[in-house]
Amino acid sequence: MLNITINSQKIQVQEGSTVLQAARQIGVTVPTLCNLEKREAIGACRVCLVEVEGARTLQAACSTPVHEGMVVLTHSAKARAARRQVVEMLLSEHDGDCPTCDRSGDCELRALAEEMGVARVPFSGLRAKRHTDDSTPALVRDNAKCIKCRRCVSVCGEVQGVGALFPQGRGFQTVIGPAFTRDLEGVACVQCGQCAAICPVGAIVEKSCIPEVWKAIENPHLHVVVQTAPAIRAALGECFGYAPGTRVTGKMAAALRRLGFDGVFDTNFTADLTILEEGTELLTRLKKALVDKQPVALPMFTSCSPGWINFAEYYFPQFLPNISTCKSPQQMFGAVAKTYYAQKIGRKPEEIVVVSVMPCTAKKFEAQRPEMNASGVRDVDYVLTTRELARMIKEAGIDFRSLPDEQMDAPLGISSGAADIFANTGGVMEAALRTAYEIVTGRELPAANLHVSAIAGLGGVKEAALTITGTKPEWSFLEGVELKVAVSHGLGNTRRLLEHIKANGSPYHFIEVMTCPGGCIGGGGQPRFTDDAVRLLRISAIYDEDESKKMRKSHENPDVQKLYKEFLGAPLGEKSHHLLHTRYAGKAK
Amino acid sequence: MNAPAWPKLSCVAELAALRERLRQEQPVAKEGQVSQILVCFGGSCLSSGAKEVRDALRQALDREGLGERVALVETGCMGPCVVGPVVLVGEDRTFYQGVKPEDAAEIVASHIRGGRKVERLMLKDASGKTPAPCRQDLDFFKRQTQVVLRNCGWIDPERIGDTIARDGYAALAKVLTEMTPAAVIDEMKTSGLRGRGGAGFPTWLKWQLASESHADVRYVLCNADEGDPGAYMDRSVLEGDPHSVIEGMAIAAYAVGAQQGYVYVRAEYPLAVERLSVAIAQARACGLLGANIFGTPYSFDLEIRMGSGAFVCGEETALIASIEGKRGEPRPRPPFPAQKGLWGKPTVLNNVETYANVPAILLNGGAWYESMGTAKSKGTKVFALAGAVRNTGLVEVPVGTPLGEVVYDIGGGIRNNRHFKAAQIGGPSGGCIPREHLNVPLDYEPLAELGAIMGSGGLIVMDEDTCMVDVARFFIEFVQEESCGKCVPCRVGTRRMLEILERICAGKGEMADIDRLVELGQFIKSASLCGLGQTAPNPVLSTIRHFRNEYEEHIRDRHCAAGVCAELVRAPCLSACPVGVDVPGFVSLVGEKRYAEALRLHREKNPFASVCARVCFHTCEDKCRRASLDEPVSIRGVKRFMVDQEVTIQVPEVRENAANAARKIAVIGAGPAGLSCAYFLARMGYKPDVFEAEARPGGMLVQAIPAYRLPREELAREVRMIEHLGVNLETDRALGRDFTLTGLHDKGYEAVFLAVGAPLGVPLDVPGAGAQGVTEAMHFLRQYNIRGSVPVGKRVAVIGGGNAAIDAARTAIRLGAESVTVLYRRTREEMPAYAEEIEEALQEGVALRTLVHPEAFDVKNGRVTGIRCRAMKLGEFDRSGRRRPEDVAESAGEVLPVDQVIVAIGQALDAKALGGDVELERTAKGWVKADPRTGATSLPWLYAGGDAVSGPSSVAEAIAAGERTAVAIDAKLTGSGHAFWRGYHDAGASFDPNADPVAYARERLQTISLEKRRQNFTEVEQPWNEGTAVRQAKRCLRCDYGKQPCAHAGTED
Repeated sequence: MLNITINSQKIQVQEGSTVLQAARQIGVTVPTLCNLEKREAIGACRVCLVEVEGARTLQAACSTPVHEGMVVLTHSAKARAARRQVVEMLLSEHDGDCPTCDRSGDCELRALAEEMGVARVPFSGLRAKRHTDDSTPALVRDNAKCIKCRRCVSVCGEVQGVGALFPQGRGFQTVIGPAFTRDLEGVACVQCGQCAAICPVGAIVEKSCIPEVWKAIENPHLHVVVQTAPAIRAALGECFGYAPGTRVTGKMAAALRRLGFDGVFDTNFTADLTILEEGTELLTRLKKALVDKQPVALPMFTSCSPGWINFAEYYFPQFLPNISTCKSPQQMFGAVAKTYYAQKIGRKPEEIVVVSVMPCTAKKFEAQRPEMNASGVRDVDYVLTTRELARMIKEAGIDFRSLPDEQMDAPLGISSGAADIFANTGGVMEAALRTAYEIVTGRELPAANLHVSAIAGLGGVKEAALTITGTKPEWSFLEGVELKVAVSHGLGNTRRLLEHIKANGSPYHFIEVMTCPGGCIGGGGQPRFTDDAVRLLRISAIYDEDESKKMRKSHENPDVQKLYKEFLGAPLGEKSHHLLHTRYAGKAK
Repeated sequence: MNAPAWPKLSCVAELAALRERLRQEQPVAKEGQVSQILVCFGGSCLSSGAKEVRDALRQALDREGLGERVALVETGCMGPCVVGPVVLVGEDRTFYQGVKPEDAAEIVASHIRGGRKVERLMLKDASGKTPAPCRQDLDFFKRQTQVVLRNCGWIDPERIGDTIARDGYAALAKVLTEMTPAAVIDEMKTSGLRGRGGAGFPTWLKWQLASESHADVRYVLCNADEGDPGAYMDRSVLEGDPHSVIEGMAIAAYAVGAQQGYVYVRAEYPLAVERLSVAIAQARACGLLGANIFGTPYSFDLEIRMGSGAFVCGEETALIASIEGKRGEPRPRPPFPAQKGLWGKPTVLNNVETYANVPAILLNGGAWYESMGTAKSKGTKVFALAGAVRNTGLVEVPVGTPLGEVVYDIGGGIRNNRHFKAAQIGGPSGGCIPREHLNVPLDYEPLAELGAIMGSGGLIVMDEDTCMVDVARFFIEFVQEESCGKCVPCRVGTRRMLEILERICAGKGEMADIDRLVELGQFIKSASLCGLGQTAPNPVLSTIRHFRNEYEEHIRDRHCAAGVCAELVRAPCLSACPVGVDVPGFVSLVGEKRYAEALRLHREKNPFASVCARVCFHTCEDKCRRASLDEPVSIRGVKRFMVDQEVTIQVPEVRENAANAARKIAVIGAGPAGLSCAYFLARMGYKPDVFEAEARPGGMLVQAIPAYRLPREELAREVRMIEHLGVNLETDRALGRDFTLTGLHDKGYEAVFLAVGAPLGVPLDVPGAGAQGVTEAMHFLRQYNIRGSVPVGKRVAVIGGGNAAIDAARTAIRLGAESVTVLYRRTREEMPAYAEEIEEALQEGVALRTLVHPEAFDVKNGRVTGIRCRAMKLGEFDRSGRRRPEDVAESAGEVLPVDQVIVAIGQALDAKALGGDVELERTAKGWVKADPRTGATSLPWLYAGGDAVSGPSSVAEAIAAGERTAVAIDAKLTGSGHAFWRGYHDAGASFDPNADPVAYARERLQTISLEKRRQNFTEVEQPWNEGTAVRQAKRCLRCDYGKQPCAHAGTED
């Protein structure tokens, strides 16, 4: 432990801590901008400057290690003045038209300016050059608003292992963007939107489709249904002043109904469907491998996360055969809604509009993939992020907090707890195990409260093993087999896992991959700002949602059973194959 | 020529044997014979044709059959780059400069075969007269101490044998076989070497920290990313002596336990990369790099990494990032590279110059190195001397050598008889040192105190043609483009500074901008992430600190005195004129024979056209751009012709104004300042009263300037012209005797302009000064010029070096003195008198004795009989940027027999005449304190200007002061501005921008013969005839063409 003094308070801090950490330890807030938890401090923004006795210059609290006897002043006149000047500089560079900015409500720069009492920007002069990149279906970048804090660079490169964004040019001409100042479409961006989630200003945002959704709702000839992903219910409340981790499932259903959707459904329904299809696919692959001794791609990877699919297509095409052919729950929903549901209500597929509310920006891309038209028309028409939905609710003047709790509509709104946990890292795996184990053994998964604790939480790559005993006769080939599974979230972790498998082979049978850290609850379309504390609260809300349900296994979902009976036949049957499965192809980088 | 295969040296003894053999193989010259020719193959000489010279020399040698006997060596940079290609011939190193291939035959035939040196190719010394035949005789080399550059210019860098013969790798051999790593670091500590990259961190400490860092692998890196504009010492070392860097790195690696090194060279240095590659390959071949060097367990190897010229990659963490293949950008420190550097391993990073010192230190011992330099900084430092000095190039001097010595003694002083204005030291992160600080030791801390830095040693000397605001703008533009863009203060802050500076340079600044720059600069310095940002504002801050007045002039007066800032300068001559006369306008009109218009145009700004045609200091000519073509336009000569064409007096425009005419304004003193003020007041409709203490108007123009320079009628004509405008002139009316300041105010004068000049001489305080025959110049001149006669001795001495001294001397000669000697304590170069006046005086028979100082006057019977003189020498630089004269202690006193002494060592205000009725604020030097822009004093109704405020100055300055005060008085009294002449007027002269400049050479004015000057006061200078005048006028390049500058502040509009 080292003895240091912060603002005349003597404290003991761990060796190797930064001044920022030491200050936080005693409840002193030093503002930050470029700093990101768990990432090495880069000291770029200089918003956290503090005065250190004996130092020639002001020091960035985020990157300055403490040393014995250090004396720090976090809010001396000099430090405050310099921090304010930094913000003034940023404001003079940043071409912000605040009232029209996506981020005017939660802009960190604006908040800093207010905190520091910036009364006016004392400099006029050249501003950052505008270049609007709306080349992808998911994201819009605006260089004029970029303040070069490089959080996106760090998230894209280090957390996601993609590296689509980095600094280029020099001096005032420095821009953050794809290589050779191309647009995102021109590089191997997976469109996960983590950059948009982390950006402190409005320089990277999702591409909005709110106007199109309003137009569809207002068109009397169209039947507009909405599906909400499991992660939304644990995060949407944050946009209305609820603490992170507050579940707002009922209010969300009510709000969607008041917005004018003709059917308020749940992606959870197709999450359950996914488990049946994917679980069966896994068992089929295992049978091929173990009984038929045929070459088959194992381990099998989950396929729910479109950022991960992009990532595999760009960077690891050799693993494409390993990815489950199941479409994601969003796309299964679209296909089912425009066929099964359409028949049920007697409408043509083209008269039905499917709107998704997703925690994800890559879902916008996924919905537009050319092959996603199993129903004969586009299966999913519009994808809104959680943030966009909140904006629509506000625009419609709906007082969210005083809404009653309502239920989703039948038939596509009924789901199990297993579907809920799709939102969390490890959740799809857990849901699959609950069903697969029971199919194979006829018994419930032998885990406390049905949770496979080894694969929950924010560890980067998690693994679990389960020895199967007491199999039903038709699954006897699995008797005594130790089923090995792994879970990875964040594409950086995934890259490391895949590189390891590439080099050393895989002990696993089944691997869950989620693009975003923490899973969908930490998606690129979720309310800002998402850090690990927020992730954990959302994760626990999702588990609560699961536990609050009687029905906690996908195969128990009666409406899913009905769907098979009335329409699909059996998992992996011909109709399933046509509507619910897809294939992948490598992409040039 | 085939490169010899170098033997592998497996032990130290083999190195010693090879060294011995190589030394013996070297050609030994027989008596009077030449065995070696060195051709400089430095980058600069190569670009001026060294290769062709080498080829021509080889052919010539072969033709003469001397190819075998004379070795032709291609060396690295020898230093004096401006005079390349440079060739050194023979054992005495005869220095040939600017050699062309066609000179080769003569060098070989005359010098090598015939033993006669080719004098026309030898370098001249600073005075440009005596040829200095040999390298060691040249001031440029004589005063240098070459450690880093010890081999540069002596060896062929592509032959490792040349290096070995000069003790190359001997230090490495000693270190590896006789010293422990700790002992090496100890020796470095003793030496006191500090990193030569700029920050000056102790080298030994860096090594120590790296060696103490716990790690399995360590690296040594060499920073050769030299990026300062104008700095090329590292390049020259790599090109001229790459082995010293390799050896230095190998020693550092041994000291810290590293086995791998990288040299990070910018790709813009292809020759350095090539020679370093050759050197590395040869060192490997010799076993001096690689495994088990000299058979010891120690292994070390070296690779080159090329950077693509990002300035920021000179920052150590950015450099490391770049070697690692990342974007070259700094990261926060700590951890320092010594703890966590390349690939996270402890890393020693020094620059080229630092490493080049290392072998010399280890070979000669730390104590040897420690004996050079200052208390805090040891050894030598290489500077890239550039800019306005005569000798530019690389110079190496002991740390702590005064700046002035480098500029004057090595650099040979300022080119083209200009004056030193500032030295920019340390590159874009450095600062500007003004002439007051020419004595500053070139050392880390003293430079930092003045706002500059040692940096990597860029030293750019600037003369008065440099605009300091523009210099600041240039450097900030450089760093703002080279900023990596990572941290906000540097990325945005430098841009904002640049924008403010651009505004100021365009005449759109405001006074608050200066404080804004300071505030921004200090913020950027304290808030930036790396050294680039932390020093980026230095050029701005240091120029504001030392040249704030220039910023103020740009902002307040929209005037760039150096004539650099394009938007403030219509023509450089015009900017240089204190009065702002439309020089290209009147010169061109003369060229079209439109003399009356030309004169009227001149008098728009300056009533004293005829006076100035004779006595003006013509700063306009100093700035004339024609000088870059051949010589300046003879503006004063053209003016002289113009005023001689005036038949009837050309009265300028007067705007009658009844209200103004009713106001009472008094001007005290009918010198150029007072009369000009009255002139401009009258043109605005005022009817001022001018009071003159002497019987004749004109002030110094009549009292001090002799008639042979300014005929009395010329002055009288222009005074009459001023009277014509409605000015009431009363002579023999003296302040303090006939009236007082308060008295004037009480009589209803609303404004009073005090322009009483500096009429008193300053007495010389030495024994005997009170004797008969000792007088002072102002008194002497006034007595003759006003009263018509003055006693003159037979043997006259004049003490002083100013214009008054020369005027008194020339007057004394004319009045019959048998001998007149001017005594001056500095040298002729430092004399403040106009050079052409001194020249005329010498022609007329005045003797000049410089570097003497009168200690006492011999007095007999109350009369002066002699002056006891003491010899002086030039010492340190004083605040005026000139060397201060010092006693030569051992010199014996000498007596100059005289019967009259005229003391001309300064002038003073006649304070008594001011009267005690008002409290006038005075400056530290005793002059009246007044606003330099308006002439306003502490009393609201009293203005002051001219010599009384500025001290003795030029006529043009006095006229300018009068004009400014007239404008200020008008503004004060009326609340508006009537100064109609200040706006832009198109002279209406024609000009063809596509025509070539006329080829006529500059001509001087004729002077009457010496015989005609004796015993009389006939005007010495004679005008040209019309043809000459018109031709001379047509030499004007019309820099003003198409330019309409932003309006002068205070213009009526």
